[in-house]
Amino acid sequence: MNGHIGSLKIALLVMALALLGACLMPGTGPVQAQAPQESQSEESGVAVSGQEFPVPLVPLPKTITPCRACHGPEKDFPVQFKRHEDLLVHKNIRLAHGGVRVWCLDCHHPDNRNFLLPLSDGKPIDFEHSYLLCGKCHGTKYRDWRNGIHGKRTGSWNGEKQYFLCVSCHNPHLPKFKPLEPMPPPAKPWTPKETQAKH
Amino acid sequence: MSDSNKTTQETATIRRDKKDRATEAPACGKDSIQPDRRSFLAGAAAFLGLISVSSCSWQEFVQNHFQRMTKTEIEETVERLRAEYKGKYGKDFVVGTEAPIDGTLFGYALDIQRCIGCRRCVYACVDENNQTRNPQMQYIRVLRFKDGNMDLEESSIYYDPEEVPEKGYYYMPVQCQHCANAPCTKVCPVRATWTEPDGIVVVDYNWCIGCRYCMAACPYMGRWFNFADPVIPADQVNTQTHYLGNRPRMRNVVEKCTFCIQRVRVGKYPMCVEVCPVGARKFGNLLDPDSEISRIISTKRVFRLKEELNTQPKFYYFFA
Ligand code: HEC
Ligand code: HEC
Ligand code: HEC
Ligand code: HEC
Repeated sequence: MNGHIGSLKIALLVMALALLGACLMPGTGPVQAQAPQESQSEESGVAVSGQEFPVPLVPLPKTITPCRACHGPEKDFPVQFKRHEDLLVHKNIRLAHGGVRVWCLDCHHPDNRNFLLPLSDGKPIDFEHSYLLCGKCHGTKYRDWRNGIHGKRTGSWNGEKQYFLCVSCHNPHLPKFKPLEPMPPPAKPWTPKETQAKH
Repeated sequence: MSDSNKTTQETATIRRDKKDRATEAPACGKDSIQPDRRSFLAGAAAFLGLISVSSCSWQEFVQNHFQRMTKTEIEETVERLRAEYKGKYGKDFVVGTEAPIDGTLFGYALDIQRCIGCRRCVYACVDENNQTRNPQMQYIRVLRFKDGNMDLEESSIYYDPEEVPEKGYYYMPVQCQHCANAPCTKVCPVRATWTEPDGIVVVDYNWCIGCRYCMAACPYMGRWFNFADPVIPADQVNTQTHYLGNRPRMRNVVEKCTFCIQRVRVGKYPMCVEVCPVGARKFGNLLDPDSEISRIISTKRVFRLKEELNTQPKFYYFFA
């Protein structure tokens, strides 16, 4: 079991470091950890037709869509490929993904903001298929997700399933999983001796 | 981790309690019933068979072992239990008796790199499986370890920070491991607990005599004893039950995780899987090479708790 401990240590280090870096603004970002349950109960069983995976629809905020309303082709609005912090309209978005290496336009399509950047086939990815985008940079995690190892499925173990999208759990702009308040510990006289000694 | 000395010492007392309980109900003429369950059974079965169906608990007393009941006996038992639960909780219960699904052997996997120790599973399990709220019973214990430490004795279950995960710790939930070579079922003197063909280790609560040998034998502390009458508020009780699973229990019987037999036998995921916010819990059919669980076992580094004891758990921990 010693090998496991080593890798655990590393994993926990990563987790702990990421925890430190996690700054969370309530109400920011498209979906937080609890959102999938809501969208699921609203539209249970609804999957986008023709999709490879049965995923829930996660509607983007109405106030900000369609993106083309502002980012339309007729608007001569400068496209900023350089990283900058002084966003105005999108000041609610704080990007903390992959340090300073990842910028908006590594994910969003510069010419059509209704879409995300395409895969090698050149076809832009729509927001419902955002997992394809994540898969471009997180190949291993994406493969695990497809195999039901990373992420989560609900429904039936031997039948229809609902997959949680990457963005159901990870805000694409602040992907670190949001810490949670734990439920109460068990009542004290619950197990004998040994555990008590630790307190 | 085990607590065997205490368990055996207390056994005698508990036995007596159980008999007391069985002979309590005065309306059913219990006075005439002598406490020795099996000889009583043998002698009086024919006589009792003549008496028509009522909700008196002498029927509970003579009820056969679940595995030996005929179809009609099962139906009668289910009706009796439903009436009993209706009386107690004022609700209509479903007491399922779904058989194992052919070609299934259930397995479970838990991603300990993902688990954040939030205990959502613990409480979802209590609600789903009608565990007593007072005294408290929770099938899932979430152990917290210091990074790099795997010593069970040094883990804690009482951690209570503002937020999880905490820096410098990792978490490992433990529940019944549904061992393929289960020590608990072997020690039961009345065979009130056994492994179903789909791999679920179950208890027939009506057959259990409360001796708690199984608890002493389990190296994972995966079994729980009802020291007192279970208390579940009627508005919280789950009425979707299975005979071998989450139907309401009584005092002086042992109970345990059944992978939510009432859910998994009808194709649903166990409740702890359904509720886990980080997706650390995986469940499925070990005999299906395409199931999540099979993929995990074949592609990830997995380990099982106390493997050296040769209990062969069907509960795996893995690193993704
Ligand atoms: C109300 C008008 C408006 C809408 C609607 C809008 N944007 Fe923007 N967006 C802007 C403006 C203005 C900027 C320039 C930077 C700033 O001030 O925030 C911008 C900048 C951006 C940038 C930064 C890169 C760059 O070119 O400056 C991205 C990425 C972006 N928008 C994506 C989107 C997406 C995706 C949507 C739809 C979900 C959307 N926007 C909807 C007005 C809008
Ligand atoms: C790692 C890829 C990635 C990066 C980098 C990224 N986004 Fe996004 N963004 C997404 C995805 C994916 C969605 C869709 C989320 C969903 O489906 O819920 C999205 C949604 C949005 C939306 C609509 C939802 C909302 O939160 O209002 C806006 C606006 C937006 N992004 C703007 C930006 C801006 C501005 C930046 C740079 C500061 C940026 N994004 C950087 C992937 C990214
Ligand atoms: C352009 C490449 C790129 C894309 C696209 C991308 N990521 Fe990332 N992501 C990164 C990089 C780089 C890191 C930092 C990795 C590291 O530090 O090892 C990262 C880190 C992460 C982390 C770990 C965060 C932490 O703090 O622990 C998560 C979770 C994550 N990404 C999720 C996503 C999701 C979900 C998507 C799709 C919406 C996505 N990523 C799309 C490049 C990308
Ligand atoms: C059920 C929720 C859930 C879903 C769905 C999910 N993740 Fe995660 N993911 C987590 C948790 C929890 C962690 C560990 C905590 C953390 O580091 O943020 C994590 C960690 C990660 C990491 C950091 C590396 C690591 O091993 O810790 C990456 C990268 C990542 N996820 C990418 C993805 C991608 C890509 C998808 C979709 C294909 C996805 N996740 C879907 C919950 C989820």
